Amino acid sequence: MSEPVRPGADRAAALTRQPAFWVVAALLAVGALRISQIAGRFLSVYPVATVTAILLFALLAVPFWLFVSELDFLEREPPSLRVLAFAWGGLVATTVSIPGSTALDNLIAKFGSPGLAAEWGSALAGPTVEEIAKTLGVVAIVLIARAQVNSVLDGVVYGALVGLGFQIVEDVVFAIGAVAMAGQGDQVQPVVTTFLVRGFLAGVWSHTLFGALAGAGIGYLVVNPHRTRTHRLAIAGLALFGAWASHVLWNSPLFRDGLGDGALALLAVLVFKGLPPLLLILYLVRRAHDQEAAYYVAKLATLRDPQLITAGELRVLGSGSRRAAARRHAAARAGRRGRAAVRRLQRAQAQLAVELSRDPDAATPHCAAVREHRAVLEELGHPEAVEGARSWRHTASTVGTTVVAIAVVWVALSALGGS
Amino acid sequence: MGRVTRSQVTDLPGTVGLPLALVIVLILAGLAFGLPRLDRAVPAERAVAAGRPYEVGAGVTIVPPEGATLDLTGTRPGDERGSALFRLGPVQYAIVVQPFDGDLTAAALRLRQRITGTSGYQVTGTQLAVSTAGGLAGIQGGYTAGDRGGRYAVFVAHGFTIEVTVTGADLDLGRTLPAIDTSTRSLRFEGVR
Repeated sequence: MSEPVRPGADRAAALTRQPAFWVVAALLAVGALRISQIAGRFLSVYPVATVTAILLFALLAVPFWLFVSELDFLEREPPSLRVLAFAWGGLVATTVSIPGSTALDNLIAKFGSPGLAAEWGSALAGPTVEEIAKTLGVVAIVLIARAQVNSVLDGVVYGALVGLGFQIVEDVVFAIGAVAMAGQGDQVQPVVTTFLVRGFLAGVWSHTLFGALAGAGIGYLVVNPHRTRTHRLAIAGLALFGAWASHVLWNSPLFRDGLGDGALALLAVLVFKGLPPLLLILYLVRRAHDQEAAYYVAKLATLRDPQLITAGELRVLGSGSRRAAARRHAAARAGRRGRAAVRRLQRAQAQLAVELSRDPDAATPHCAAVREHRAVLEELGHPEAVEGARSWRHTASTVGTTVVAIAVVWVALSALGGS
Repeated sequence: MGRVTRSQVTDLPGTVGLPLALVIVLILAGLAFGLPRLDRAVPAERAVAAGRPYEVGAGVTIVPPEGATLDLTGTRPGDERGSALFRLGPVQYAIVVQPFDGDLTAAALRLRQRITGTSGYQVTGTQLAVSTAGGLAGIQGGYTAGDRGGRYAVFVAHGFTIEVTVTGADLDLGRTLPAIDTSTRSLRFEGVR
């Protein structure tokens, strides 16, 4: 029987000692140079619009970054590798995709017809080049930091961050393209419209999502050595194909006509083209998350020491929503210090679990850290980091947030759909 | 206890980091340089029927100049927008149709700003009123970019703007502009299907 997690070495070898790292660094340097040239050109012609676009899409990246980083709470990826993944998407994959996609679009016109390229060029050329270029970023991370890719979820996180980097840079390029097309000089209105369409409405089912799926395939390839190489490569290929197909569907001209121009039509397009891949990928991510969580929680369960983790905390630690509920409960009982102390305890328990999976004999310092945070909680009169009863305030807050979110989406759809 | 397979022994990435990294470089180079090279190797120009209207997109047609070829890299017809790129030797003759909700003055301003927004491009001379055989009213002007010159014209019809740009060396432009002017006058809005 296979484990969902394949523990890495206790300490990853220094990145700079690996020849492959320098190859990746050179690719990043070339990408940075190319994207800087493009940004410089934009800044010289449309300085205000360019700065606005960079700021808006950088802000958009923040919640995505936090969500993706938090996805693997139990075994967080090192910040340096998360930055590397983001940079690959934003610098290398974009640099490769700009000429590659244009060339493939032209080839579709030449071997097919200009009409075919006009209808399906962006649906076929973009995804083909971009998904390959992005997925290679996750492969590059495996090559230079194999010890940090221990589960399918790790592949999801790196793939999503590569996709996020790509998405942000591509959105800025599109925004400035819209400014140029508008032909009204250095105006920010086309940037705001692009932000609403590509960032706000289309952002959820964009490159971050496709990258996560392709990354899951690379994660599976790496962490399942008991399977044959053919099987693993087939699964990785299937995941890449799934990312490509989702991207093709999203870019395709399907449903473009016949639904009218109103907000409902735009909503229907979002639902038909974006929702199926979104639900599929969220299901796979959830499954990968739960499998990894069950593995690490089982490691902690072997300790049988309530000072390190109680039965209630074992139940809480494997679920993101329960961890959040435990922090809210601590805040209600012991204030902000209680919330912070529970967060630190949960983080320390997660680190202990990872250490137990790698080398149980080396886990003693992590046990000490957990006991330290437990002592703080005991001082605060809240010794156990478990969920409380569901409060009406939390329920009301959730309902209110959902209503506001729906209203904002509806206003945006109405404004962009022309109704 | 299970048998250890060869694939497990030689599991990814093992000690093959550098060769695989170089494979990544090769694939990226194939996408960034190989595809454009293949694109350039495949001829982009196609013959167009002389004297017959060519549909640019969104119901707009034009009769190409005699001897012109269609460049597929700049030609994308469509129901709501479209573009066509013709070549007369070294001269490029491009027509772009897209939705537009302003008037002719706004359309001309927009096109001029797009031209001057390109590094090294400057608008020259004054603008002139032009019209097509089908009665579309437009504005025409000229621009320059180093040793290359150009002509632009813009028309507005039924919620669309039709932008015409001609680019080439001065000598080539002088030779081909009469035929291009005749072609531009053949612009016609047939209506969106």
